[in-house]
Amino acid sequence: MVDTTMQPRTVTSTAPPRYAGWIGRTVNSALYRNTIGLLASNRWVRLAVLAGVPLIWIAALHLGPILQMANISFLANYPPRPGVDSGYTLENYGFFFSDRLYFMPFVRSLIFAAVVTVSTLVIVYPVAYYVAKVVKPKNRMRALLLLLIPFWAGELIRTFSVIMLLANRGAVNVLLRELGFIDRPIPMLYTFFSLSFGVVYLLALYMLLPLYSAIEKIPTPLIHAASDLGAGPFQRFRRVILPLSKDGIVSGCSLVYLTTIGVFAAPLLLGGPNAVIFPEVIATLFHGSNDKWPEGAAFSMLMLAVSLTTVGLFMRIVGGRSVRLM
Amino acid sequence: MKDFTTTRRSTLKLLAAGTGILAAPAIIRPAFAQSKVVNITTYDKFVPQSFIDQFQKDTGIEVRIRLTDDQGKQYNLLTAEGATPSTDIVTVTGHRLSQFLNSNLLSALDTGRLKNWDKLAAAYKGAPQLTIDGTTYGLPLLAGYEGLARNTEYTKETDTWGLMFEDEFKGLTSYIITDFLSIVMTYQGNDGDYVTYGDKPDVAQTATNQARDFLIQHKDKVRKYYDAGSEVQQMFLNEDIYLAQVWSGPAAKLIMDGHPIEISVPKEGTYGFLYSFNVVNNAPNADAAYTFLDAILSSPEIGAAMTRQSGFASAFAGVNDVLDDRERAALSLPDEQAQRIQFFSSVNRDMKNEMIDKAAAEIKAA
Repeated sequence: MVDTTMQPRTVTSTAPPRYAGWIGRTVNSALYRNTIGLLASNRWVRLAVLAGVPLIWIAALHLGPILQMANISFLANYPPRPGVDSGYTLENYGFFFSDRLYFMPFVRSLIFAAVVTVSTLVIVYPVAYYVAKVVKPKNRMRALLLLLIPFWAGELIRTFSVIMLLANRGAVNVLLRELGFIDRPIPMLYTFFSLSFGVVYLLALYMLLPLYSAIEKIPTPLIHAASDLGAGPFQRFRRVILPLSKDGIVSGCSLVYLTTIGVFAAPLLLGGPNAVIFPEVIATLFHGSNDKWPEGAAFSMLMLAVSLTTVGLFMRIVGGRSVRLM
Repeated sequence: MKDFTTTRRSTLKLLAAGTGILAAPAIIRPAFAQSKVVNITTYDKFVPQSFIDQFQKDTGIEVRIRLTDDQGKQYNLLTAEGATPSTDIVTVTGHRLSQFLNSNLLSALDTGRLKNWDKLAAAYKGAPQLTIDGTTYGLPLLAGYEGLARNTEYTKETDTWGLMFEDEFKGLTSYIITDFLSIVMTYQGNDGDYVTYGDKPDVAQTATNQARDFLIQHKDKVRKYYDAGSEVQQMFLNEDIYLAQVWSGPAAKLIMDGHPIEISVPKEGTYGFLYSFNVVNNAPNADAAYTFLDAILSSPEIGAAMTRQSGFASAFAGVNDVLDDRERAALSLPDEQAQRIQFFSSVNRDMKNEMIDKAAAEIKAA
């Protein structure tokens, strides 16, 4: 077998260059030889170079925007305009606390995210358990793939599918009318119900995978042993399955909660006049008639801080030290 | 930990890939400034695809459309780009023009470079909404108004905005909250465009609060606050709503397509607006932008196609002769109603925006 590991090579080779022209000159240059030599001779340098690309990527494209948002949140004016003061201020944060106007959607968002998280857990847990423990091992991947098929479509397409389902002339109302249960359509769309239904549907995957992963790892003999010792189905669930799937529950809940807090398109398309949540308020500040980017940025940072704190506390209280995000 | 091995080739490839990714913004950015490209920020269905295809074929200039659905979003994005915009043409309404000009975002339109300038309808040449101190800042495109749209199968004919607040239509109405606030102020006998409130902020605030409280009181009538024309069209089609405050374009489009929708201007009045194409200050492809603007004026067929797609009335001459009877009917208003339309003014916009935005947030939060 050929060893492809890069080995240190002597840089004093007298062999003629293999390539003529600029390639040859580059290959024979001291800078190139020293650089490659350093990479080849030191494993840690290679690691640093290879890790550098993803680290720079994360810093530039993930942390960078958040830091820029934090920066804007302290600016008096943004985008900068000639002749307008762009110094730093705390007023944008004070704006949130000075007016109860923005408090209600903020609290509504937190409650909404909590309700959606619990609903998703309750709905998805039996599904994850069924796939992980009831379906035969050889069919598990197939069952999992079947559940994942809807998620191959984009978020917007799935949101519009919810509209087609719940509209006054949507599939549910048409079916109920055809069956003679109703004369007039039930207004389901543009309510908290449609919003919650849509978001649970959109985010079920984030709950399903950690739960499946955790439940699948529970040794089946342990459940059988509990049964042999006289534990009924509920007791087996409460004393064995639930504690052993705690990691999955905490991971899934954290993912769903954090995503729900920031969800924007679904509330815009599925929510009604009484279902306005905080991301929509923030968006209004960014694209409203006046320039309120700094206020929008401050609100975003507040939301980020509160949601991360909530999840951190949740993980600390429920998950202990062993829990970590996927 | 599993040890990993590298070859010189794989290391170089990885380094090259990383460098390429990090350098991508610098590579992409100049692509916007190619002379054979024109970047246009506009509303959905404003520029017909058939025209774009023909224009690209005739001139070799690639047309890149970026969609917007809100003047505020467009303004904020253009402001953020500052002195190095990546778009050449934007779509500004007459009453928002001053806001763009105050931020130095638009350049004056050199009408001498448009040999088809005379093909504009007479009423729109040098339209006052687009002319400041004798200088023209935009090419008039489409005109519209805010009307009362109703599903004729479930609602009675009306001549008042009051129908939007009747208990019979609880949960069956929809509106753009900021736009409708202005209309409700007019409905209540106040100045919804704030033109007369320049030195009377207290009076303006009182009138705004009055409209705000009225809308909060009647919040139960609303099915949904919407933003884009396509949303209200969808709600009418799904029969989620029977009544709505709409821009004339989306409603006219439904009428043209044969849906049982009617649009009218109630006796309390409404507001009109004029969309224009505007060349951006420091546009990277200004020459291509002028070529595009001249081409779009070249034939009334293009104006008619824009009208058919958007539902708004064209500012180009001869378009009415190209439209068929049903299309003309969808666009026309009785004279009596047409006279109730007052074009939005660019006067006192800052006060209006500030108060309306705040009131809209209060209504949503209530």
